[in-house]
Amino acid sequence: MSDVARNRLLLTLSVVMAAIYLFPLYWMYVTALKSGSEMFATPPSFWPLSAQWSTFAYVWESRNMGRYLWNSTVIAFGAVTLIAVLGTGCAYVLARYRNIWVDIGLFLILMFQVLPASLMITPIFVGFSQLGLLEYPRFAVTLAITAKSMPFFVVLVRATFMAVPMELEEAALVDGNSRIGAFFNIVLPLARNGILVSAILIFMQAFGEFVYSKSMIQDIQLQPASVGLNSFMGPNTSEWNNIMAYATMYVTPILAIFVLLQRRIVSGLTSGALK
Amino acid sequence: MKRMFSSITDGRGFDLVLVGVPFTFLLALSGLPLLYNILMSFQEVDMFSLGSVVRPFVGFKNYVDLFTQPETMSILRNTIVFVVGSITGQFIVGFALALFFWINFPGASWLRGLFLVSWVMPGLVVGAIWNWILSGDFGVLNFLLQQTGLMSGNIFWRSDPNFSLWAVILANIWLGTSFNMILLATGLAAIPTDLYEAAEMDGANAWQRFWTITLPMMRSTIGAIIALGLIFTLQQFDLFAAITDGGPNNSSNVAQYWAWDLSFRQYDFGKGATISVIMTVFVMFAATVYVRSTRHEVRG
Repeated sequence: MSDVARNRLLLTLSVVMAAIYLFPLYWMYVTALKSGSEMFATPPSFWPLSAQWSTFAYVWESRNMGRYLWNSTVIAFGAVTLIAVLGTGCAYVLARYRNIWVDIGLFLILMFQVLPASLMITPIFVGFSQLGLLEYPRFAVTLAITAKSMPFFVVLVRATFMAVPMELEEAALVDGNSRIGAFFNIVLPLARNGILVSAILIFMQAFGEFVYSKSMIQDIQLQPASVGLNSFMGPNTSEWNNIMAYATMYVTPILAIFVLLQRRIVSGLTSGALK
Repeated sequence: MKRMFSSITDGRGFDLVLVGVPFTFLLALSGLPLLYNILMSFQEVDMFSLGSVVRPFVGFKNYVDLFTQPETMSILRNTIVFVVGSITGQFIVGFALALFFWINFPGASWLRGLFLVSWVMPGLVVGAIWNWILSGDFGVLNFLLQQTGLMSGNIFWRSDPNFSLWAVILANIWLGTSFNMILLATGLAAIPTDLYEAAEMDGANAWQRFWTITLPMMRSTIGAIIALGLIFTLQQFDLFAAITDGGPNNSSNVAQYWAWDLSFRQYDFGKGATISVIMTVFVMFAATVYVRSTRHEVRG
Protein backbone atom coordinates (compact mmCIF):
# COMPACT_ATOMS: atom_id res chain seq x y z
CA MET A 1 0.00 0.00 0.00
CA SER A 2 1.38 3.38 -0.94
CA ASP A 3 1.93 6.07 1.68
CA VAL A 4 -0.78 8.31 0.28
CA ALA A 5 -3.38 5.53 0.36
CA ARG A 6 -2.34 4.57 3.88
CA ASN A 7 -2.61 8.14 5.12
CA ARG A 8 -5.99 8.54 3.52
CA LEU A 9 -7.28 5.36 5.09
CA LEU A 10 -6.02 6.36 8.54
CA LEU A 11 -7.44 9.84 8.18
CA THR A 12 -10.86 8.46 7.21
CA LEU A 13 -10.81 6.04 10.12
CA SER A 14 -9.88 8.75 12.59
CA VAL A 15 -12.52 11.13 11.24
CA VAL A 16 -15.11 8.37 11.70
CA MET A 17 -13.95 7.83 15.26
CA ALA A 18 -14.05 11.55 16.02
CA ALA A 19 -17.54 11.72 14.51
CA ILE A 20 -18.78 8.89 16.74
CA TYR A 21 -17.19 10.47 19.77
CA LEU A 22 -18.56 13.91 19.05
CA PHE A 23 -22.04 12.63 18.21
CA PRO A 24 -23.56 13.94 21.49
CA LEU A 25 -22.46 17.44 20.49
CA TYR A 26 -24.02 17.01 17.04
CA TRP A 27 -27.20 15.74 18.65
CA MET A 28 -27.41 18.90 20.73
CA TYR A 29 -27.25 21.10 17.64
CA VAL A 30 -29.71 18.97 15.65
CA THR A 31 -32.24 18.78 18.48
CA ALA A 32 -32.08 22.52 18.98
CA LEU A 33 -33.18 22.99 15.36
CA LYS A 34 -36.07 20.52 15.47
CA SER A 35 -39.71 21.43 15.94
CA GLY A 36 -41.64 20.22 18.97
CA SER A 37 -43.23 17.34 17.07
CA GLU A 38 -40.20 16.30 15.06
CA MET A 39 -38.21 15.97 18.27
CA PHE A 40 -40.41 13.08 19.44
CA ALA A 41 -40.65 11.31 16.08
CA THR A 42 -39.81 7.61 15.85
CA PRO A 43 -37.54 6.84 14.15
CA PRO A 44 -35.70 10.07 15.08
CA SER A 45 -34.51 12.18 12.18
CA PHE A 46 -30.77 12.73 12.05
CA TRP A 47 -31.12 15.92 10.04
CA PRO A 48 -33.78 18.51 10.87
CA LEU A 49 -36.63 18.47 8.31
CA SER A 50 -37.34 22.17 8.67
CA ALA A 51 -34.81 24.02 10.80
CA GLN A 52 -36.52 26.13 13.48
CA TRP A 53 -34.10 29.01 13.89
CA SER A 54 -36.70 31.00 15.80
CA THR A 55 -36.25 28.66 18.80
CA PHE A 56 -33.04 30.46 19.68
CA ALA A 57 -34.64 33.88 19.84
CA TYR A 58 -37.58 32.47 21.77
CA VAL A 59 -35.37 30.76 24.39
CA TRP A 60 -33.07 33.78 24.66
CA GLU A 61 -36.06 36.00 25.44
CA SER A 62 -38.13 33.69 27.59
CA ARG A 63 -35.29 32.39 29.75
CA ASN A 64 -33.63 35.79 29.97
CA MET A 65 -30.35 34.29 28.84
CA GLY A 66 -28.60 37.60 28.46
CA ARG A 67 -28.72 38.06 32.20
CA TYR A 68 -27.54 34.52 32.94
CA LEU A 69 -24.60 34.75 30.55
CA TRP A 70 -23.68 38.17 31.91
CA ASN A 71 -23.55 36.75 35.44
CA SER A 72 -21.43 33.81 34.26
CA THR A 73 -19.08 36.24 32.55
CA VAL A 74 -18.79 38.49 35.60
CA ILE A 75 -18.02 35.55 37.89
CA ALA A 76 -15.58 33.88 35.49
CA PHE A 77 -13.82 37.15 34.66
CA GLY A 78 -13.47 38.08 38.31
CA ALA A 79 -12.08 34.69 39.20
CA VAL A 80 -9.59 34.65 36.31
CA THR A 81 -8.33 38.13 37.15
CA LEU A 82 -7.81 37.26 40.79
CA ILE A 83 -6.20 33.94 39.89
CA ALA A 84 -3.84 35.49 37.37
CA VAL A 85 -2.75 38.28 39.74
CA LEU A 86 -2.13 35.94 42.66
CA GLY A 87 -1.11 32.78 40.84
CA THR A 88 1.46 34.05 38.33
CA GLY A 89 3.96 35.21 40.92
CA CYS A 90 3.48 32.07 42.94
CA ALA A 91 4.14 29.89 39.88
CA TYR A 92 7.25 31.94 39.09
CA VAL A 93 8.80 31.44 42.51
CA LEU A 94 7.95 27.73 42.52
CA ALA A 95 9.61 27.38 39.12
CA ARG A 96 12.71 29.41 39.94
CA TYR A 97 14.02 27.54 42.95
CA ARG A 98 14.52 23.90 43.75
CA ASN A 99 14.64 23.13 47.45
CA ILE A 100 12.64 21.43 50.15
CA TRP A 101 10.34 24.46 50.67
CA VAL A 102 9.39 24.45 47.01
CA ASP A 103 8.60 20.75 47.24
CA ILE A 104 6.40 21.36 50.26
CA GLY A 105 4.72 24.26 48.46
CA LEU A 106 4.04 22.12 45.41
CA PHE A 107 2.60 19.37 47.57
CA LEU A 108 0.27 21.85 49.29
CA ILE A 109 -0.79 23.28 45.94
CA LEU A 110 -1.65 19.81 44.73
CA MET A 111 -3.64 19.04 47.87
CA PHE A 112 -5.65 22.23 47.42
CA GLN A 113 -6.18 21.36 43.78
CA VAL A 114 -7.78 17.99 44.38
CA LEU A 115 -10.36 19.04 46.99
CA PRO A 116 -13.78 18.45 45.39
CA ALA A 117 -16.03 21.51 45.27
CA SER A 118 -19.07 19.53 46.39
CA LEU A 119 -17.26 18.60 49.61
CA MET A 120 -15.80 22.05 50.26
CA ILE A 121 -19.09 23.86 49.76
CA THR A 122 -20.46 22.89 53.19
CA PRO A 123 -17.76 24.60 55.30
CA ILE A 124 -17.35 27.46 52.81
CA PHE A 125 -21.09 28.16 52.83
CA VAL A 126 -21.35 28.11 56.63
CA GLY A 127 -18.20 30.19 57.04
CA PHE A 128 -19.21 32.75 54.41
CA SER A 129 -22.67 33.09 55.91
CA GLN A 130 -21.13 33.81 59.31
CA LEU A 131 -18.83 36.42 57.80
CA GLY A 132 -21.76 37.99 55.98
CA LEU A 133 -20.16 37.35 52.59
CA LEU A 134 -23.34 35.74 51.25
CA GLU A 135 -24.79 39.26 51.05
CA TYR A 136 -22.63 39.59 47.94
CA PRO A 137 -23.22 36.16 46.41
CA ARG A 138 -21.40 36.66 43.11
CA PHE A 139 -18.32 37.91 44.93
CA ALA A 140 -18.54 34.95 47.32
CA VAL A 141 -18.68 32.52 44.40
CA THR A 142 -15.77 34.31 42.74
CA LEU A 143 -13.67 33.87 45.88
CA ALA A 144 -14.60 30.19 46.16
CA ILE A 145 -13.77 29.52 42.49
CA THR A 146 -10.47 31.37 42.88
CA ALA A 147 -9.47 29.11 45.76
CA LYS A 148 -10.56 26.05 43.79
CA SER A 149 -8.89 26.84 40.47
CA MET A 150 -5.76 28.78 41.41
CA PRO A 151 -3.70 25.64 42.14
CA PHE A 152 -4.36 24.30 38.64
CA PHE A 153 -3.34 27.64 37.16
CA VAL A 154 -0.15 27.64 39.23
CA VAL A 155 0.73 24.13 38.03
CA LEU A 156 0.18 25.07 34.37
CA VAL A 157 1.99 28.40 34.53
CA ARG A 158 4.88 26.94 36.51
CA ALA A 159 5.55 24.63 33.56
CA THR A 160 5.72 27.73 31.34
CA PHE A 161 8.20 29.50 33.63
CA MET A 162 10.36 26.38 33.72
CA ALA A 163 10.83 26.79 29.97
CA VAL A 164 12.11 30.37 30.32
CA PRO A 165 15.92 30.21 30.50
CA MET A 166 17.19 31.52 33.80
CA GLU A 167 20.29 33.00 32.13
CA LEU A 168 18.15 35.73 30.57
CA GLU A 169 16.96 36.87 33.95
CA GLU A 170 20.46 36.71 35.41
CA ALA A 171 21.78 38.80 32.54
CA ALA A 172 19.13 41.42 33.23
CA LEU A 173 20.15 41.50 36.90
CA VAL A 174 23.79 41.94 35.96
CA ASP A 175 22.75 44.83 33.70
CA GLY A 176 21.39 46.60 36.75
CA ASN A 177 17.74 45.62 36.76
CA SER A 178 16.10 45.07 40.12
CA ARG A 179 14.38 41.75 40.74
CA ILE A 180 11.03 43.41 40.22
CA GLY A 181 12.20 45.03 37.00
CA ALA A 182 13.63 41.79 35.62
CA PHE A 183 10.41 39.99 36.46
CA PHE A 184 8.13 42.45 34.68
CA ASN A 185 10.41 43.31 31.76
CA ILE A 186 12.05 39.98 30.95
CA VAL A 187 10.40 36.93 32.50
CA LEU A 188 6.75 37.90 32.26
CA PRO A 189 6.79 38.86 28.55
CA LEU A 190 8.55 35.58 27.72
CA ALA A 191 5.92 33.55 29.56
CA ARG A 192 3.01 35.60 28.24
CA ASN A 193 1.56 33.00 25.88
CA GLY A 194 1.55 30.23 28.46
CA ILE A 195 -0.10 32.47 31.02
CA LEU A 196 -2.73 33.54 28.52
CA VAL A 197 -3.59 29.98 27.51
CA SER A 198 -3.83 28.87 31.13
CA ALA A 199 -6.05 31.84 31.92
CA ILE A 200 -8.35 30.94 29.03
CA LEU A 201 -8.56 27.36 30.27
CA ILE A 202 -9.44 28.59 33.77
CA PHE A 203 -11.99 30.99 32.28
CA MET A 204 -13.74 28.14 30.48
CA GLN A 205 -13.94 26.13 33.69
CA ALA A 206 -15.21 29.07 35.73
CA PHE A 207 -17.75 29.89 33.00
CA GLY A 208 -19.34 26.48 33.52
CA GLU A 209 -19.01 26.32 37.31
CA PHE A 210 -22.10 24.95 39.03
CA VAL A 211 -21.78 23.68 42.63
CA TYR A 212 -20.78 26.95 44.30
CA SER A 213 -23.20 29.09 42.29
CA LYS A 214 -26.09 26.71 42.90
CA SER A 215 -25.49 26.67 46.64
CA MET A 216 -24.62 30.29 47.33
CA ILE A 217 -26.68 32.36 44.87
CA GLN A 218 -30.36 32.28 45.78
CA ASP A 219 -31.37 35.43 43.88
CA ILE A 220 -32.32 34.50 40.31
CA GLN A 221 -31.15 37.92 39.12
CA LEU A 222 -27.57 37.01 40.04
CA GLN A 223 -27.44 33.36 38.97
CA PRO A 224 -25.08 32.22 36.18
CA ALA A 225 -26.07 30.21 33.11
CA SER A 226 -25.25 26.82 34.62
CA VAL A 227 -27.80 27.32 37.39
CA GLY A 228 -30.25 28.66 34.82
CA LEU A 229 -29.86 25.50 32.75
CA ASN A 230 -30.38 23.38 35.85
CA SER A 231 -33.64 25.10 36.72
CA PHE A 232 -34.75 24.88 33.07
CA MET A 233 -34.47 21.08 33.24
CA GLY A 234 -37.29 20.13 35.56
CA PRO A 235 -37.71 16.44 36.40
CA ASN A 236 -40.43 15.83 33.79
CA THR A 237 -39.51 18.30 31.11
CA SER A 238 -40.47 17.75 27.51
CA GLU A 239 -39.04 20.91 25.96
CA TRP A 240 -35.85 19.26 24.87
CA ASN A 241 -35.50 21.36 21.73
CA ASN A 242 -35.61 24.51 23.88
CA ILE A 243 -33.18 23.11 26.43
CA MET A 244 -30.76 22.10 23.67
CA ALA A 245 -31.09 25.60 22.18
CA TYR A 246 -30.16 27.01 25.59
CA ALA A 247 -27.21 24.61 25.82
CA THR A 248 -26.13 25.57 22.29
CA MET A 249 -26.06 29.27 23.05
CA TYR A 250 -24.25 28.61 26.31
CA VAL A 251 -21.56 26.31 24.97
CA THR A 252 -20.87 27.53 21.42
CA PRO A 253 -18.67 30.50 22.44
CA ILE A 254 -16.55 28.15 24.57
CA LEU A 255 -16.26 25.64 21.75
CA ALA A 256 -15.31 28.39 19.30
CA ILE A 257 -12.47 29.57 21.54
CA PHE A 258 -11.35 26.00 22.04
CA VAL A 259 -11.24 25.10 18.35
CA LEU A 260 -9.36 28.31 17.53
CA LEU A 261 -6.73 27.81 20.24
CA GLN A 262 -6.83 24.02 20.28
CA ARG A 263 -3.16 23.37 19.66
CA ARG A 264 -1.97 25.78 22.34
CA ILE A 265 -4.52 24.60 24.90
CA VAL A 266 -3.69 20.93 24.37
CA SER A 267 0.06 21.48 24.63
CA GLY A 268 -0.33 23.73 27.67
CA LEU A 269 -2.47 21.13 29.34
CA THR A 270 -0.15 18.21 28.69
CA SER A 271 2.96 20.07 29.80
CA GLY A 272 1.37 20.99 33.11
CA ALA A 273 -0.79 18.07 34.10
CA LEU A 274 1.87 15.37 34.30
CA LYS A 275 4.71 17.46 35.63
CA MET B 1 11.84 50.44 56.73
CA LYS B 2 13.90 51.36 53.71
CA ARG B 3 15.76 48.08 53.86
CA MET B 4 12.52 46.16 54.03
CA PHE B 5 11.19 48.00 51.00
CA SER B 6 14.32 47.36 48.96
CA SER B 7 14.20 43.71 49.90
CA ILE B 8 10.68 43.50 48.50
CA THR B 9 11.63 45.11 45.20
CA ASP B 10 15.04 43.52 44.88
CA GLY B 11 15.74 40.53 47.09
CA ARG B 12 14.47 37.64 49.11
CA GLY B 13 11.41 39.66 50.12
CA PHE B 14 10.29 39.77 46.49
CA ASP B 15 9.98 35.98 46.36
CA LEU B 16 8.38 35.82 49.77
CA VAL B 17 5.68 38.33 48.83
CA LEU B 18 4.96 36.61 45.52
CA VAL B 19 4.54 33.25 47.18
CA GLY B 20 3.19 34.42 50.53
CA VAL B 21 0.10 36.28 49.38
CA PRO B 22 -1.40 33.45 47.30
CA PHE B 23 -0.60 30.89 49.97
CA THR B 24 -2.26 33.02 52.63
CA PHE B 25 -5.28 33.27 50.35
CA LEU B 26 -5.35 29.51 49.77
CA LEU B 27 -4.88 28.68 53.42
CA ALA B 28 -7.70 31.06 54.34
CA LEU B 29 -10.12 29.83 51.68
CA SER B 30 -9.22 26.14 51.41
CA GLY B 31 -7.18 25.26 54.49
CA LEU B 32 -9.46 26.88 57.06
CA PRO B 33 -12.67 25.42 55.56
CA LEU B 34 -10.99 22.02 55.72
CA LEU B 35 -10.40 22.41 59.46
CA TYR B 36 -13.81 23.99 59.95
CA ASN B 37 -15.31 20.96 58.24
CA ILE B 38 -13.71 18.64 60.77
CA LEU B 39 -15.00 20.81 63.62
CA MET B 40 -18.54 20.84 62.20
CA SER B 41 -18.56 17.08 61.83
CA PHE B 42 -18.47 16.92 65.63
CA GLN B 43 -21.22 19.51 66.06
CA GLU B 44 -24.92 19.73 65.47
CA VAL B 45 -25.32 22.31 62.72
CA ASP B 46 -28.72 23.14 61.28
CA MET B 47 -30.54 26.20 59.97
CA PHE B 48 -30.94 27.64 63.48
CA SER B 49 -27.39 27.25 64.73
CA LEU B 50 -25.90 28.21 61.37
CA GLY B 51 -25.03 31.74 62.42
CA SER B 52 -23.77 31.04 65.92
CA VAL B 53 -20.13 30.31 66.63
CA VAL B 54 -20.70 28.04 69.63
CA ARG B 55 -22.82 25.07 68.72
CA PRO B 56 -23.79 21.93 70.63
CA PHE B 57 -20.90 19.51 70.62
CA VAL B 58 -22.11 15.99 69.88
CA GLY B 59 -18.92 13.93 69.75
CA PHE B 60 -19.03 11.12 67.24
CA LYS B 61 -22.83 11.19 66.98
CA ASN B 62 -22.82 12.35 63.33
CA TYR B 63 -20.46 9.55 62.35
CA VAL B 64 -22.43 6.91 64.24
CA ASP B 65 -25.74 8.18 62.89
CA LEU B 66 -24.48 8.13 59.33
CA PHE B 67 -23.30 4.55 59.49
CA THR B 68 -26.55 3.33 61.03
CA GLN B 69 -28.65 4.96 58.32
CA PRO B 70 -30.03 2.35 55.90
CA GLU B 71 -29.00 4.19 52.72
CA THR B 72 -25.37 4.72 53.70
CA MET B 73 -24.05 1.35 52.60
CA SER B 74 -25.77 1.46 49.22
CA ILE B 75 -24.50 4.99 48.59
CA LEU B 76 -20.93 3.99 49.46
CA ARG B 77 -21.28 0.96 47.20
CA ASN B 78 -22.57 3.24 44.41
CA THR B 79 -19.54 5.47 44.91
CA ILE B 80 -17.18 2.54 44.45
CA VAL B 81 -19.07 1.30 41.37
CA PHE B 82 -19.08 4.82 39.94
CA VAL B 83 -15.36 5.31 40.50
CA VAL B 84 -14.25 1.88 39.27
CA GLY B 85 -16.66 1.87 36.32
CA SER B 86 -15.76 5.39 35.20
CA ILE B 87 -12.00 4.94 35.52
CA THR B 88 -12.01 1.56 33.76
CA GLY B 89 -14.12 2.84 30.90
CA GLN B 90 -12.21 6.10 30.47
CA PHE B 91 -8.87 4.38 30.64
CA ILE B 92 -9.60 1.54 28.20
CA VAL B 93 -11.27 3.72 25.57
CA GLY B 94 -8.71 6.48 26.10
CA PHE B 95 -5.76 4.10 25.77
CA ALA B 96 -7.20 2.49 22.63
CA LEU B 97 -7.68 5.91 21.03
CA ALA B 98 -4.22 7.07 22.12
CA LEU B 99 -2.64 3.97 20.57
CA PHE B 100 -4.51 4.56 17.33
CA PHE B 101 -3.52 8.21 17.11
CA TRP B 102 0.06 7.27 17.94
CA ILE B 103 0.37 6.12 14.33
CA ASN B 104 1.77 9.07 12.47
CA PHE B 105 -0.42 10.48 9.72
CA PRO B 106 -1.22 14.01 8.61
CA GLY B 107 -3.95 15.58 10.73
CA ALA B 108 -3.51 13.09 13.58
CA SER B 109 -2.60 15.59 16.27
CA TRP B 110 -5.28 18.09 15.25
CA LEU B 111 -8.04 15.47 15.26
CA ARG B 112 -6.78 14.07 18.53
CA GLY B 113 -6.99 17.50 20.13
CA LEU B 114 -10.56 17.90 18.90
CA PHE B 115 -11.65 15.09 21.23
CA LEU B 116 -10.91 17.38 24.14
CA VAL B 117 -14.09 19.42 23.56
CA SER B 118 -15.89 16.96 25.83
CA TRP B 119 -13.59 18.09 28.60
CA VAL B 120 -13.86 21.87 28.17
CA MET B 121 -17.66 21.90 28.02
CA PRO B 122 -19.52 22.88 31.21
CA GLY B 123 -20.45 19.70 33.09
CA LEU B 124 -24.05 20.73 33.25
CA VAL B 125 -24.30 21.02 29.47
CA VAL B 126 -22.76 17.56 29.07
CA GLY B 127 -25.30 16.29 31.58
CA ALA B 128 -28.20 17.94 29.75
CA ILE B 129 -27.17 16.42 26.43
CA TRP B 130 -26.80 12.93 27.89
CA ASN B 131 -30.05 13.29 29.78
CA TRP B 132 -31.78 13.76 26.43
CA ILE B 133 -29.78 11.02 24.66
CA LEU B 134 -30.61 8.57 27.45
CA SER B 135 -34.29 9.43 27.55
CA GLY B 136 -36.40 6.27 27.80
CA ASP B 137 -39.09 6.77 25.14
CA PHE B 138 -37.47 9.13 22.68
CA GLY B 139 -33.79 8.83 23.47
CA VAL B 140 -31.50 8.28 20.53
CA LEU B 141 -29.36 5.74 22.38
CA ASN B 142 -32.28 3.36 22.87
CA PHE B 143 -33.13 3.78 19.19
CA LEU B 144 -29.58 2.98 18.07
CA LEU B 145 -29.29 -0.01 20.38
CA GLN B 146 -32.51 -1.43 18.99
CA GLN B 147 -31.54 -0.77 15.39
CA THR B 148 -28.31 -2.66 15.84
CA GLY B 149 -30.24 -5.50 17.45
CA LEU B 150 -28.43 -5.31 20.78
CA MET B 151 -31.66 -4.85 22.67
CA SER B 152 -35.37 -5.43 22.12
CA GLY B 153 -37.18 -3.14 24.58
CA ASN B 154 -36.54 0.40 25.76
CA ILE B 155 -34.24 0.86 28.75
CA PHE B 156 -35.42 3.63 31.04
CA TRP B 157 -31.89 4.73 31.86
CA ARG B 158 -32.75 7.53 34.24
CA SER B 159 -35.75 6.12 36.06
CA ASP B 160 -34.88 2.41 36.31
CA PRO B 161 -32.93 1.87 39.57
CA ASN B 162 -30.89 -0.85 37.85
CA PHE B 163 -29.57 1.53 35.22
CA SER B 164 -29.64 5.03 36.73
CA LEU B 165 -26.09 4.84 38.08
CA TRP B 166 -24.84 3.45 34.77
CA ALA B 167 -26.47 6.35 32.95
CA VAL B 168 -24.21 8.74 34.86
CA ILE B 169 -21.18 6.45 34.45
CA LEU B 170 -21.74 6.39 30.69
CA ALA B 171 -21.81 10.18 30.54
CA ASN B 172 -18.77 10.42 32.79
CA ILE B 173 -16.80 7.97 30.64
CA TRP B 174 -17.57 10.13 27.62
CA LEU B 175 -16.50 13.24 29.51
CA GLY B 176 -13.21 11.84 30.80
CA THR B 177 -12.03 9.66 27.92
CA SER B 178 -10.52 12.54 25.98
CA PHE B 179 -8.45 13.74 28.92
CA ASN B 180 -7.12 10.22 29.49
CA MET B 181 -6.32 9.92 25.81
CA ILE B 182 -4.38 13.19 25.63
CA LEU B 183 -2.26 12.37 28.67
CA LEU B 184 -1.63 8.80 27.53
CA ALA B 185 -0.64 10.10 24.11
CA THR B 186 1.94 12.34 25.79
CA GLY B 187 3.31 9.31 27.63
CA LEU B 188 3.47 7.26 24.43
CA ALA B 189 5.32 10.00 22.60
CA ALA B 190 8.01 9.97 25.28
CA ILE B 191 8.99 6.31 24.69
CA PRO B 192 12.24 6.20 22.69
CA THR B 193 11.59 4.70 19.26
CA ASP B 194 14.89 2.81 19.08
CA LEU B 195 13.53 0.41 21.69
CA TYR B 196 10.93 -0.70 19.18
CA GLU B 197 13.45 -0.89 16.36
CA ALA B 198 15.66 -3.14 18.44
CA ALA B 199 12.74 -5.36 19.46
CA GLU B 200 11.59 -5.62 15.86
CA MET B 201 15.03 -6.75 14.78
CA ASP B 202 14.94 -9.39 17.49
CA GLY B 203 11.70 -10.64 15.94
CA ALA B 204 9.15 -9.46 18.50
CA ASN B 205 5.66 -9.08 17.06
CA ALA B 206 3.34 -6.14 17.74
CA TRP B 207 1.59 -7.90 20.60
CA GLN B 208 4.89 -8.75 22.33
CA ARG B 209 6.20 -5.24 21.81
CA PHE B 210 3.08 -3.84 23.47
CA TRP B 211 3.46 -6.07 26.55
CA THR B 212 7.22 -5.89 26.94
CA ILE B 213 7.93 -2.28 25.94
CA THR B 214 4.86 -0.06 25.82
CA LEU B 215 3.22 -1.13 29.06
CA PRO B 216 6.37 -1.22 31.22
CA MET B 217 7.56 2.12 29.83
CA MET B 218 4.16 3.66 30.54
CA ARG B 219 3.98 2.44 34.12
CA SER B 220 4.43 5.79 35.85
CA THR B 221 2.17 7.58 33.35
CA ILE B 222 -0.55 4.98 33.88
CA GLY B 223 -0.22 5.28 37.65
CA ALA B 224 -0.54 9.04 37.45
CA ILE B 225 -3.55 8.84 35.13
CA ILE B 226 -5.41 6.33 37.31
CA ALA B 227 -4.81 8.55 40.35
CA LEU B 228 -5.96 11.62 38.39
CA GLY B 229 -9.01 9.63 37.26
CA LEU B 230 -9.84 8.85 40.88
CA ILE B 231 -9.51 12.53 41.78
CA PHE B 232 -11.69 13.65 38.87
CA THR B 233 -14.42 11.05 39.38
CA LEU B 234 -14.68 11.96 43.07
CA GLN B 235 -15.10 15.58 41.97
CA GLN B 236 -17.92 14.76 39.56
CA PHE B 237 -21.08 16.51 40.68
CA ASP B 238 -22.64 18.29 37.72
CA LEU B 239 -23.58 15.10 35.86
CA PHE B 240 -25.58 13.82 38.84
CA ALA B 241 -27.37 17.15 39.14
CA ALA B 242 -28.20 17.16 35.43
CA ILE B 243 -29.07 13.52 34.76
CA THR B 244 -30.57 11.64 37.72
CA ASP B 245 -30.44 13.96 40.73
CA GLY B 246 -29.20 10.96 42.72
CA GLY B 247 -32.47 9.13 42.22
CA PRO B 248 -34.64 7.22 41.89
CA ASN B 249 -34.60 6.39 45.58
CA ASN B 250 -30.83 6.99 45.96
CA SER B 251 -30.04 4.29 43.38
CA SER B 252 -27.62 6.64 41.61
CA ASN B 253 -26.53 8.64 44.62
CA VAL B 254 -22.81 8.84 45.45
CA ALA B 255 -20.99 10.22 48.47
CA GLN B 256 -19.98 13.58 47.00
CA TYR B 257 -23.54 14.28 45.83
CA TRP B 258 -25.00 13.03 49.08
CA ALA B 259 -22.79 15.36 51.11
CA TRP B 260 -24.23 18.31 49.21
CA ASP B 261 -27.76 16.94 49.44
CA LEU B 262 -27.52 16.55 53.22
CA SER B 263 -26.31 20.12 53.66
CA PHE B 264 -28.36 22.03 51.12
CA ARG B 265 -31.58 20.03 50.77
CA GLN B 266 -31.97 18.56 54.25
CA TYR B 267 -30.14 21.43 55.98
CA ASP B 268 -28.19 18.99 58.14
CA PHE B 269 -24.81 20.68 57.74
CA GLY B 270 -23.23 18.56 60.47
CA LYS B 271 -23.84 15.33 58.56
CA GLY B 272 -22.88 16.94 55.27
CA ALA B 273 -19.59 17.94 56.86
CA THR B 274 -19.09 14.42 58.20
CA ILE B 275 -19.40 12.81 54.76
CA SER B 276 -17.15 15.51 53.35
CA VAL B 277 -14.45 14.77 55.92
CA ILE B 278 -14.53 11.04 55.13
CA MET B 279 -14.37 11.62 51.38
CA THR B 280 -11.64 14.26 51.68
CA VAL B 281 -9.42 11.63 53.29
CA PHE B 282 -9.89 9.38 50.25
CA VAL B 283 -9.18 12.21 47.82
CA MET B 284 -5.99 13.17 49.64
CA PHE B 285 -4.88 9.55 49.59
CA ALA B 286 -5.36 9.51 45.80
CA ALA B 287 -3.41 12.76 45.54
CA THR B 288 -0.51 11.25 47.46
CA VAL B 289 -0.45 8.29 45.07
CA TYR B 290 -0.42 10.76 42.20
CA VAL B 291 2.52 12.65 43.69
CA ARG B 292 4.45 9.44 44.22
CA SER B 293 3.98 8.32 40.63
CA THR B 294 5.09 11.66 39.19
CA ARG B 295 7.72 12.45 41.80
CA HIS B 296 10.75 12.19 39.58
CA GLU B 297 9.07 14.61 37.19
CA VAL B 298 8.10 17.05 39.93
CA ARG B 299 11.70 17.27 40.98
CA GLY B 300 12.60 17.91 37.35
